[in-house]
Amino acid sequence: MRLKAQQQSKAVIPTASMADIAFLLIIFFMLTFQIEVDRTQVTLPQTMIRLEVPKKSALISVDPKGQIRVSSGEEMSVPVPSEEDVLSFAAGIVQTDPSKTFVIKADKETPYRIVDGIIDALKQAKVRDVYLLSQQETVDNS
Amino acid sequence: MQLKVKKEASDEIPTSSMADIAFLLIIYFMITTTFAATRGLDWALPQDDEDTPEVEKEEAVLIEILPSGELLVDQDPMETEDIMDYLLPKLERNPKKPVIIQPDPEAPYGKMVEVFDELRQGEEDEGVKINISIPTRREIEMFWY
Repeated sequence: MRLKAQQQSKAVIPTASMADIAFLLIIFFMLTFQIEVDRTQVTLPQTMIRLEVPKKSALISVDPKGQIRVSSGEEMSVPVPSEEDVLSFAAGIVQTDPSKTFVIKADKETPYRIVDGIIDALKQAKVRDVYLLSQQETVDNS
Repeated sequence: MQLKVKKEASDEIPTSSMADIAFLLIIYFMITTTFAATRGLDWALPQDDEDTPEVEKEEAVLIEILPSGELLVDQDPMETEDIMDYLLPKLERNPKKPVIIQPDPEAPYGKMVEVFDELRQGEEDEGVKINISIPTRREIEMFWY
C-alpha cells in the first residue's frame, strides 16, 4: 500500500488581521478620549446619586490644603488665590455661555467655608447647574 | 558578458508594520485617556427669575453640621440615616416643608455632600419632592440677621 506523503504545514502566525484589531482598539480609545484638565489629587466624597457630568463643563477644584484651581473645561486648570477670583472667572464664562455647567471637585475633608465661598461666587455669577464630583458609595462603607 | 536577471518587484503593499503603528497609537491613547470620575451629584442653583419662595428659618427643618461632622436636626443630635424617618411625617403634613442644610464653616465638605445625597435619595425612594436649600454664609447674614 502506498501512503500519501504528509503535507508539511508552514509555521506562520496569521498577522494580517492584527492591524484591524488594533485599529478597533484605537477607535475605542479615541471615542472615550477626554483630556484631563485637572490633576489635583483629592479624595472625593461618596454618594449614591451620581449623574453623568456634561462634557466640557467648567471645573473648580479644591485640594486638601485649600488651594483652588479653575478651568473652563478646555485647557489645563490654573491656580487662583481666592474665592473672589472664582467669581470673576465664573462671571466671564457665564457671559459667553449662560447654560454652562460647573463642576466642583473638592476633597471630602476640605473645610466647608472654602466650598461655601465658591458656591456663593457661582450663585452671584448666576450659574445654573453645579455638579459635586463624587465617588460611588459601596455597600460596605456606606 | 553575463547580465544579471532582474528581480521582479513584488506588487504587494507591505502591511506587516501596520500593526506596529496601530499599537503605538493605542499606547498613546491609553496613556492620555483617563477614566477619571466624571459623575457627581447635581445641584440646580436657585435663580432670581424663578419665583423661589423665601425660606423662613422658623418653619423649616434645620440640619446643622458641626465642625466634628455631627448633625443637629432641629437642635437634636441625629445620624444621617435617621433624617428621612424624622422628615417624612413632617412632609406628609406639609409637602412644601423647606429643609435647610447649614454646615459650620469648619465642617468637612464630605459631610454636607453626604446629607445632601441622603435627602436626594429619600426623594427618589419615597417619590416626594423636598424643598432643599443650602444657603451660603453671605445669604444667611443678609436675610436672617
